[in-house]
Amino acid sequence: MKRSPTSPAPSSLTRAIRYLGHYRRETAYAYGALLLATSAQLMVPLLIHRMIDGITRGVVAQQTAALPATVQAAIASRMGITLAQLTQAGTQPVQALVISGLLILVFAMVRGLFSFSQAYMGERVSQSVAFDLRNDLFSRIQRLSFSYHDRNQTGQLMVRATDDVEKVRVFIGQGLLMATSALLLMVGAIVILFTLNPRLTLVVLPILPLALGLFLVMGSVARPMFGLVQRKLSALNAILQENMAGIKVVKAFSREPEQEQRFQKAADDFLAQILKVMRLMTFLMPLVFFIANLGQAAILFFGGRQMILGTLSLGEWQTFSLYLMFVFIPVAQLGFIITQMSQASASAGRIFEITDARSDVVEAPDARLLPTVRGRVEFENVTFRYFGGGKPVLERVSFVAEPGQQIALLGRTGSGKSTIINLIPRFYDPTEGVIRIDGVDLRQVALDSLRSQIGTVLQETTLFSGTIRDNIAFGRTDAPMAEIVQVAEAAAANEFIQSFPLGYGTPVGERGVTLSGGQRQRLAIARALLLDPRILILDDSTSSVDLETEWRIQQALIRLMQGRTSFVIAQRISTVLNADQILVLDDGAIVARGRHEELLETSEIYADIYSSQLVDDSAGVTVDAAAAMATES
Amino acid sequence: MFHDPRHIFEAETSKPQNVSQTLRRFAGYFRPYWRRYLGVLVMMIVSTWAAVTAPQLLGQAVDCYLVPPAATAAFEGVSPTLTVQPPSASGPAVQATDSACWYAEVPLTATTEERINGLAGLVLRLLGLYAIGSITTGLMFYWMTTSGQRVLRTLRVEVFHHILLLPIGYHVAHESGDIMSRVTNDADTIQQAVSFALIQVISGGFLIVWVAYKMLSESVAYGLVALAMLPFMVIATAWFSAQARKAFRRTRVRMGSVNAELQESISGVREAQAFSREDENIASFRETNAANRDANIRAVAYTSALAPTLEALGYVALALVAVAGGYALLEGQALLGETVTLGLMITFIAYVQRFNQPVQQISVLWTNIQSAIAGGERIFGLLDVVPDLQDAPDATDLPPIRGDVVLDDVWAEYEKGEAVLRGVSLRAAPGETVAIVGPTGAGKTTLISLIPRFYDVTGGALTIDGHDVRQVPGASLRKQIGVVLQESFLFSDTIMENIRFGRPEATDDEVIAAAKLANADKFIDRLPDGYQTSLGERGTGLSQGQRQLLAIARAALANPGILILDEATSSVDTRTERLIQSALETLLRDRTSFVIAHRLSTIRHADQVLFLDQGRIVERGTHESLMAKHGMYYGLYMSQFRRQSPTEGGDGRETRAAPAPA
Repeated sequence: MKRSPTSPAPSSLTRAIRYLGHYRRETAYAYGALLLATSAQLMVPLLIHRMIDGITRGVVAQQTAALPATVQAAIASRMGITLAQLTQAGTQPVQALVISGLLILVFAMVRGLFSFSQAYMGERVSQSVAFDLRNDLFSRIQRLSFSYHDRNQTGQLMVRATDDVEKVRVFIGQGLLMATSALLLMVGAIVILFTLNPRLTLVVLPILPLALGLFLVMGSVARPMFGLVQRKLSALNAILQENMAGIKVVKAFSREPEQEQRFQKAADDFLAQILKVMRLMTFLMPLVFFIANLGQAAILFFGGRQMILGTLSLGEWQTFSLYLMFVFIPVAQLGFIITQMSQASASAGRIFEITDARSDVVEAPDARLLPTVRGRVEFENVTFRYFGGGKPVLERVSFVAEPGQQIALLGRTGSGKSTIINLIPRFYDPTEGVIRIDGVDLRQVALDSLRSQIGTVLQETTLFSGTIRDNIAFGRTDAPMAEIVQVAEAAAANEFIQSFPLGYGTPVGERGVTLSGGQRQRLAIARALLLDPRILILDDSTSSVDLETEWRIQQALIRLMQGRTSFVIAQRISTVLNADQILVLDDGAIVARGRHEELLETSEIYADIYSSQLVDDSAGVTVDAAAAMATES
Repeated sequence: MFHDPRHIFEAETSKPQNVSQTLRRFAGYFRPYWRRYLGVLVMMIVSTWAAVTAPQLLGQAVDCYLVPPAATAAFEGVSPTLTVQPPSASGPAVQATDSACWYAEVPLTATTEERINGLAGLVLRLLGLYAIGSITTGLMFYWMTTSGQRVLRTLRVEVFHHILLLPIGYHVAHESGDIMSRVTNDADTIQQAVSFALIQVISGGFLIVWVAYKMLSESVAYGLVALAMLPFMVIATAWFSAQARKAFRRTRVRMGSVNAELQESISGVREAQAFSREDENIASFRETNAANRDANIRAVAYTSALAPTLEALGYVALALVAVAGGYALLEGQALLGETVTLGLMITFIAYVQRFNQPVQQISVLWTNIQSAIAGGERIFGLLDVVPDLQDAPDATDLPPIRGDVVLDDVWAEYEKGEAVLRGVSLRAAPGETVAIVGPTGAGKTTLISLIPRFYDVTGGALTIDGHDVRQVPGASLRKQIGVVLQESFLFSDTIMENIRFGRPEATDDEVIAAAKLANADKFIDRLPDGYQTSLGERGTGLSQGQRQLLAIARAALANPGILILDEATSSVDTRTERLIQSALETLLRDRTSFVIAHRLSTIRHADQVLFLDQGRIVERGTHESLMAKHGMYYGLYMSQFRRQSPTEGGDGRETRAAPAPA
């Protein structure tokens, strides 16, 4: 897109139209065909005129053949032709007729071919533009930061990539071509009219700016209304999407009636907004038709007046009026297109709103690739607030993880553990403070080079449509099968995967088999392990696995964490016993740190967590197990 | 059995649909607005009348006022007015007869002034006619679009209702994005059709019929010649529509895939970024997107061919009329036994041109209608999915639950032949807590999903207080059951409303009390807007543990007769869990509860512990009795110490707490 820095920012619709530049050849084809098809249309009156003239002359010549030559000449001059022409018309009238007929047939084929090319290429190009717009939207959405997605609903973003793109597409594929052809016809017809009768043409002209002005006003009134229509549709879709994602909860609590009411309200809102637009159109459309007809009536009156006064001949009038409809039909067409245009313009605005959205996490323009990480992670006075406000979730947190160290994060729900691990792969940027890996500020490195060296197991495991193999190879699509089986084994997942008839080829995700929470979690672990990352992040990763399985995963993880810097959030103290550093978080601050033995002595909170574990699991077991052993012996 | 309708989509694309049936169903939705359509019909007749009268008046202006008297007298037939030629300004031509002017008596001696005044009067009438045409068109448009939009709203609400009605099994087996596409994208195709296309097509049809009638009434023979192309037009339209519909069906399915991929990728965007998967996702979307583009391009190949074909046929008709008429005229022969005059021929040329106009208009918008039919088929296809979990016709409300839950030889399977539960029998007496343990994938979640009838059993029966769950309305059953699921789903709404989801009529104070009970109030108070804090989609901004606390509060607020906890506290830290333990105990007390937990603390207090393995209950009893049994439960229970025992340098307390299992 070439744009001089001084020129004002182009409107969204112009930007969308510029996408046609990606398909110059096809676009040229479409518009070339349009030009030819339109010019052909201007020939219609001539062709018919010619044919009727031919027949008329033939008939007149036949009927006047017996009359004296002087009378014939008089008749010919009345008809505006020479006597020679008249007699010639009389000699081979049928042949001339057939030629005219054939001409029309040839014309029909040519015109048909061009109007097909125009329509087909126009649609084709518009589909291609829609394809580009969707891809651009999708790429942007994929790269926008977590905080953007925290604020925006999936259902709303979806509407922009589907319905809004479609609105723009329809305009580019039909409206824009129609407008071009309408303008061409109008200008062409006006030029012809001018050559025929400038004075009469001047009568028509004032109506055009009037009509166009009216269209512009209507367009600018309609645009925000259409924007609102799309917004309401987004809201509707968001409710739909949410209900489908949460269908279990809705059903579990029998909240169908309330959700239906919610949806109905959104549907009513949407309907009300559409009806508002329709009311405007109900007013606009007849007005447009009326204005177009007004022109025709004005011409009839002024032209008729000239004729009656003798300054305009009947023949001139007839030719003139033939072209008149090519001025006013386009006016009516433009009136129709203007609504399509304001709709497309509103939608284009919504599309570019996303593609222009600034991610909170932006790669610095001079971002460099993060070299192979050794694994020193440093937090320096890091403060973080969600949604940019409220109490900080993290407050002045500082720590250093040396390469290969295992860091355990402990603390009550909501103390900021998840936030810390979300900051390391730079899903969010800290509100204040600096995070460094191997001494490099995260904000100075390319995101991909950072994230590809970090393996993450998030709290919720999303499986994507595809096979189990695809899901494990999520971060490294080209991984060989042997490696996939290896990591699956390490994550204690191989066994259950093999138990499926299709093994690693078993489809999972939305339309696949249902996996239990524990099974999903193990796939997520395998997924992270496959990256062989230098930095490993495990968030709650073993909590919904039964103890037996957890123990096996644990063993695998202990081996895997060797030599990698790892951050582990785990509820059970057993998980953190081997940690090199335990960070105890409370209310967004580190309240204690050290190894297990040290903390037991120094930290009251840690001791408290520890004893809660004892009461929870171990203490009871001690008694029971002792009892059990007693009974056994 | 639970449902495996995965093939419905494939079937849908290949199955030839009954178009008239689809149209009939549409008609059913439009029926309530029949008064408007009556109005539309009246308006259509008026506007057609205006549309055909205006050109006649235009012709009269020429015939009555503009044609110089001399010319009228001598060359009546040689001064044809072409496009403005009123079809009625016919009459035997060439042989100069009476004036074709019927609009007004204009004496040959009329002065210039009189003629101008007369013309002005005519123009005013013409304007009046145009005004009538505009107003009637506007009214038609208004009635049609507003009722069309209302129909769409009804359809959308109906589809949503149906989506909620479909069992969990259906949702598990289908991409939600594709289902959503029916409510938005497919519905949108219908919207486009009802706004403009339908009205244009119908009024175009009126014009065609009128012109055809006029032609035949002027001259049957010539009329037949002029209409000779009509059958070809009908055939072309029918063929192209059938092709277009087939192509459009494919585009609707492709659009569904685009929507499904969008849905999946956007909701899973965090994983994509965590694994630097953006490029692969973008590449994969490109493919789906390209498939949609190509399907559409194939469809437009048919749709863009229709209008030019009809237009060309129209020109053929024109040539036919001119050549056949001209030939008969010049050779002085009769056309199919009827005499052709120059005037008649000119009139017919004008007729054919007028005939072609609405044909063109219809053909352009016809594709919209085909696309709408394809969209409608998909919507109706979804509405036609019969939920295999339906309330029995004679279902009576489940009385307030006492809590006697009996499973009698229950079998369940998701895929035919792959039983997940194999003959499970159990009885929970009112107020009892039943703990379900077992390895991952043993069928625990399936078992508890049967109680609120998320799925139906494939064998055996599940009764509550003696009522088979299949014999009571689903709503009356689920209203009395509280569920805290493995993944706690929150809505993008305030925290207050998310908790209130458990019982919509609860007051704010009750909500806050429930939050306190679940120990969620502490973190809520720290949020920027407290209970009024709006959550992101699925509760983003909160940790999984916090979400679980809200889910527990929600269940507590519902005050259910039966409580089901599926890993309800798995992501809550132990200290918080200890704090809500007492709350949970209060919650569990006096109501029948089913608990899946890996933390044995919850299990120890259970009245019954069931050990599930591969869909069977292999051990049952109390914690103590099972421990004494030294079976699988014992092994599972002891395994947690095995994982603690290898700890090097474990301190004294730890070793003490971890006796090596026998």
